[in-house]
Amino acid sequence: MSAAATGEAGAAARGAQGEAPHGGPLVVARAISAGYGGAPALVGADFSVSRGDRIGVLGPNGGGKTTLFRVLLGELAPAAGALTMRTRCATVPQTDRSRLDFPVSALDVTLMGTLARLDWWRRPGRSERRRALAALDRVGLAAHDRSTFGELSSGQRQRVLIARALMADMDLLLLDEPYSGLDAPSAELITALIDDLAAEGRALMIATHDVEQARGWDQVLCLNRRQVAFGVPDQTLSRAVLEATYAGAIVDLPREGGGIGPGVLPPHHHDHGHGPE
Amino acid sequence: MLDPFSLPFVQRGLAEVLLLAVGAGLLGTWIVLRGLAFYTHAVGTAAFPGLVVADGLGFAAPLGALGAAAIFAATVGRLARRGRDGYDSLTALVLVGALALGVILASDVFRSGAHVESLLFGSLLAIGTGDVVLAAAVSALSLGTTLVLGRHWLATGFDQHGARTLGVNSAITDAALLALVALVSVAALSAVGALLATALLVVPAATARLWTQRLGSWQLASIALVALEGTVGLWLSVKFNAPPGATIAVLASAVFGLAAALRALPLRARRHVPTAPAGAMNR
Repeated sequence: MSAAATGEAGAAARGAQGEAPHGGPLVVARAISAGYGGAPALVGADFSVSRGDRIGVLGPNGGGKTTLFRVLLGELAPAAGALTMRTRCATVPQTDRSRLDFPVSALDVTLMGTLARLDWWRRPGRSERRRALAALDRVGLAAHDRSTFGELSSGQRQRVLIARALMADMDLLLLDEPYSGLDAPSAELITALIDDLAAEGRALMIATHDVEQARGWDQVLCLNRRQVAFGVPDQTLSRAVLEATYAGAIVDLPREGGGIGPGVLPPHHHDHGHGPE
Repeated sequence: MLDPFSLPFVQRGLAEVLLLAVGAGLLGTWIVLRGLAFYTHAVGTAAFPGLVVADGLGFAAPLGALGAAAIFAATVGRLARRGRDGYDSLTALVLVGALALGVILASDVFRSGAHVESLLFGSLLAIGTGDVVLAAAVSALSLGTTLVLGRHWLATGFDQHGARTLGVNSAITDAALLALVALVSVAALSAVGALLATALLVVPAATARLWTQRLGSWQLASIALVALEGTVGLWLSVKFNAPPGATIAVLASAVFGLAAALRALPLRARRHVPTAPAGAMNR
């Protein structure tokens, strides 16, 4: 099904629950533009997403990452272009402070994912609880099901939100800067989890500022109010592309495998908001 | 010691407050969790002119109150959708306007005289059968709605955007919550009056929040606290010939103060559990 420029993307994304034909892409975006009334926040997004893809979505704050995610979620209709969605998406938002005072356990939060699957009047029963415990186990938090969400570390909270998305059981997961504020061991756990989920046949789009991290994934999508590039990291992340994406914040960094290559100065994490980028 | 409770009119008051406890305690947790305390106070106060009109024209008080509360809730709902900035100040404006309108209606149109005080502060010692039936019905409705919509309200409050992507229609479920709060406020009017509805609907839930970590235990504690404070307040008011609504309100505030003070004592290392920030519909 295709939701084109006429703006029915919301209904289309919500209605499409069928499985993609094997091997066919889950999402095809052709020359999509989107914005909030004024100048478009994102122009010319043109990419496809297949099962098992780990796609790093790179770009500065305000580069259009959040706008793209809102289009994929069906919250924002593309102003131009054609979007074909063969799946619904589940989101993994950043863990912000406003949730820390909520009287919920990790299991309670995970069970919120059942809202996507159960009829609105039905309460989660025993089988949903079992699935939620399995989802927590999947993200390595089996021992923390009774912990209060706000008392977990930020990396653990991020993994609880991934478990919530797993409960919704969608083929495409959108992760919004899952590494922000994490220490190295927590970040490694998230990376391993992303690899596992992709190996199961899910597709993941990960908004991140970490270019080095994205080099290890299958595709990168570089945005700076327009689509700068989309493709396999090795061929795509050239100095020219990074300069066009990050507009100057490029420095030479030692590469993991030895040698020196272009990298991006880490952004300041204290001020990233949740408004439309 | 328990002799006041042998009087039939005190027994009716006790039945009223115990039945109200379920609805008030349960919704109180949602009010605190979703930052609706000011709305709750305002919707109770907005019912005042409706009570005066019902009293003056001689029709059932809950109908007048419900009509006025419904107009207020619908107005707030419409304004809330336009953005949050003006919401609090507009609620305050409507609240003051409703109170002033009620006073003018009472003094110059219907000459309600002595009735005004019981409309503003309740008359738990003059409860009719209809009030008790209303309390029971509203509590049953609160319980049923919480069982069905509670997880939607929780998910919306936890993460509104995430809840929407999971398929929660927050506009409808939140409207149901606002309507239910208005309904429980109206049911509480005969007990504690237009100005003291929050004594049953907000203060006990806020008190229980200080000592509970989970929604389920919080809800049970909140219901128990409304029942306890209502019972003790009623007993005290008969014993010392004080107005029952005000006595319950003073008692509830004192218990909250005590609970907060105990909570602040460094008895042992407790983790800080703040309540929801004040303000409109906490996202």
